[in-house]
Amino acid sequence: MKYICLICIFFQLSVHAQNNSGARSKALGSASTALEDVWSLRLNSAGIASIESVIFALGYEQHFLDPELSTQSAILGVPIKDYVLGVSFQRYGITEYLEQTAGIALSKKYSDALSIALSMNYHQVSIPFYGSENTISVDVGMQYSLNDKLRLGSAVTNPGRSKINDLSGSQIPTGISVGLAFDLSDKVLFLSDLTKILDYGMNFRLGIEYQILKSFNLRGGISANPFKQTGGFGFKFGRIAVDAAISSHPRLGYSPNLSLNYEF
Amino acid sequence: MTHSQVQNDIVLEQIIESMAQNFSEDHDYSEMIERLNLYRKLPLNINTATKEQLEDLFFISPIQINSILNHREANGLFIDVLELQSIIALDNNTIRWLLNFIVVLRPGDFTNLSFKNMVLKSEHDLMLRFGQVLEKQSGFYSSDKNEAGTYSGSAMRMFARYRYNYSDFFFASVNMEKDAGEPFSFKNRLKGFDFYSANLSYKGKGKVRKVIAGDYALQFGQGLSMWAGAGFGKGANLGSIARKDVGLRPYSSVNESFFLRGIAATFEWRKFSITPFYSGRRIDASFSDSNSQISSLQLSGFHRTKTEIFNKNAVSQRVYGANMQYNAADLNVGLTGFQTRYSIPFAEGNTLYQQYNFIGSTLNNLSIHYSYTYKNSYFYGETSHSLNSGFASMKGLISSIAPAVSLVNLYRNYERNYHSFFNQALSESSNAANEKGFYSGLAIRFNKEWELFTYADFFKFPWLKFRVDGPSSGLELFGQMTFTPNKQFKLLSRFRQQRKEENTEDLDGGLDIVDKQDLRIELNYKISDDFAIRNRVEIVRYQKGILYPEFGFLSIQDIIYDSMGSKFSGNIRFAIFETSGFDTRIYAYENDVLYSYSVPAYQGKGIRFYVNGRFKLSRKTDLWIRYATISYASQETIGSGGDLIEGNQRSDIRIQLRLQF
Repeated sequence: MKYICLICIFFQLSVHAQNNSGARSKALGSASTALEDVWSLRLNSAGIASIESVIFALGYEQHFLDPELSTQSAILGVPIKDYVLGVSFQRYGITEYLEQTAGIALSKKYSDALSIALSMNYHQVSIPFYGSENTISVDVGMQYSLNDKLRLGSAVTNPGRSKINDLSGSQIPTGISVGLAFDLSDKVLFLSDLTKILDYGMNFRLGIEYQILKSFNLRGGISANPFKQTGGFGFKFGRIAVDAAISSHPRLGYSPNLSLNYEF
Repeated sequence: MTHSQVQNDIVLEQIIESMAQNFSEDHDYSEMIERLNLYRKLPLNINTATKEQLEDLFFISPIQINSILNHREANGLFIDVLELQSIIALDNNTIRWLLNFIVVLRPGDFTNLSFKNMVLKSEHDLMLRFGQVLEKQSGFYSSDKNEAGTYSGSAMRMFARYRYNYSDFFFASVNMEKDAGEPFSFKNRLKGFDFYSANLSYKGKGKVRKVIAGDYALQFGQGLSMWAGAGFGKGANLGSIARKDVGLRPYSSVNESFFLRGIAATFEWRKFSITPFYSGRRIDASFSDSNSQISSLQLSGFHRTKTEIFNKNAVSQRVYGANMQYNAADLNVGLTGFQTRYSIPFAEGNTLYQQYNFIGSTLNNLSIHYSYTYKNSYFYGETSHSLNSGFASMKGLISSIAPAVSLVNLYRNYERNYHSFFNQALSESSNAANEKGFYSGLAIRFNKEWELFTYADFFKFPWLKFRVDGPSSGLELFGQMTFTPNKQFKLLSRFRQQRKEENTEDLDGGLDIVDKQDLRIELNYKISDDFAIRNRVEIVRYQKGILYPEFGFLSIQDIIYDSMGSKFSGNIRFAIFETSGFDTRIYAYENDVLYSYSVPAYQGKGIRFYVNGRFKLSRKTDLWIRYATISYASQETIGSGGDLIEGNQRSDIRIQLRLQF
């Protein structure tokens, strides 16, 4: 079991460090460069500019149905005038290997159409008996609405190429992504993005969200490289929103993801 | 008729090419082409068309059929075909295709009478076709008649077809064919043509719906247990992913393998229908060394060489069973059971990957299929069982989640030991067995001009396959964007990636990933009322494991001439191709004489040219002539075995005459 865990960890790390962008985004194939959501903090922080009240969110992802291997995250978004301030914490790993990230982001709405964000992340990797290491990375993101139906987004992650190489060989991905969000109708949202991570191929992602009932959404998505099929749903009861997702990796299997948002 | 022959051929070509994504030479779509041609001749009245009739136009998705029927119910009869444009579920392409096969007739229309008159009479249709490769092929010139690659007959291909219909309820059909290399003689107990197929059929409106004596085909459910004739799979079109079964129909193709011969009928009582069937015929097979067991069925239909003639009609096959269905407006449930029995048992496979192949001589199949429409969703599926062995099951859902957005999800699980001899269901392998997969597709119409169709399919093969010595998996990604700014212009770009596993080239064992990417850009435009032009460029990239990637390239130029008043119409293709070999070959649909078509693989380096012409000799007589040639740049011989040509060029001529009286 431990052996499998380690394979999983390194398989993941060789792609990019674990990043839980919330169950909504996960269900949408993570094609969320142009998505407006408090969880955007983890992919393109410009997306948090859309929130209008304070939102607190918790997320949990179990990797490949292995109860020992999971990611836990907490997020807070606070709108202050034209700005939205976001804070995030994330913990990933098993007792023998732990990866923790804390981030702070500031997103500004310049008009109804444009928002730009800057975020800073603190990463720590610790392996008992070997020690721990940490570093800081910076991300930049923006979103622009061409009209009331189409929004474009782009994000640059870790342009400074910070790394935590020595201990684990783990890399904080340096990448760029561009994406679009298209309101196909008042009930259907279409998302697509293209990402390039340095030293790793290109990825094309696609997601679709369907508001089947007023407070119930169905979601599905595809990621091309690594290939993943994803799906999920989301409920909203007043101030509370619950989202669930599952993603399927051809070799490693299923990963369920759950998140809970509370709007103050 | 507003649509002329050649334009219509182009439409047929587009439909077949968009439905059949993974096609190759051995798929037989002639029945579908004939079906569409029939609707072109006698278009469907959209104001009286039933769900079943619309389902015959297999390129329309179930959701679209529903929306047409709902529109008619909600808004009354159609006044004009252009009204179709107001049905949001119909995309531009589908409308454009549909217009070739439907008319709008209202009760009391003057045209209605003449339309009726047109139907209510007896008609004969006789067609003769001859074809031949012009170069010398070694199989025809060998002195030793017993040599393996020696053909016993002439190089000429001959085909004769006769159709008779009395009004719209009685039909007769005869097909006769001789392939190149097959003998045509009445001596030595030979019966002239190599292949004969005929049937008499009756179509009724009462309790007896259909009766066919002779050769017939059956299609039930999604084709997991019983589907004779070609079926579409993962195409560039939503309509292809949910099969529309037509039940019992007369067999009209010249494919010599997949049909039934005997008697079958469909009876209907209220919402129930039952189709009992019986078939007994001889089929080709090759035998294991001891000659006491079948090693495989021979499906090519060729009887040219000594071995092929020896294998001809070597086994007798008997099939009998029945299908029962319940048909309500939104719900269709069917149950199929049948037995297939061979006079000689199948031998056990020699290799490990054949371990789960069918053995013995009797196979019983039982299957249940359903389709259900609820609001904007269409649920469908089939589960089939081969008694004493495995199960196969598929479940699909098509939903139209917004007026211009449709989603498809399809789950399939075919056990490795599932068997049916008439299994043609959607699958990545040639047979729906030993496969698990999940397909999801999305069709979006962004506006009147831009349309997107995309899908992703992930599949696993739990047991070994030919050239795959281990459980394996793979995936397929497809995306197509079409831009249609006006009726004269259409731009299409299409990308497809397939990834599968295969044995490594060295003998160390293990599997390599085989990655194939295919990009196509196609431009169609009309330069005048009479001339249309098409350009296509296609690039293929193939890579196995860590070997260097290989590339293939194809560029096509088509010119289509078709003038309303003229007795002549035709088209010309000029193509250049350069592919590194078999793995990077590129298939392209080619126009041919009416009811005929070809899908050659462009492989190697060379040029392709063909010209098709149709001459209307009189109101009832048509003549088609086709000349096609392929010339290779760096090859000294073409083909292998009896087809071998010493030279770098292969040309083919085809003449077809049709008389209607």
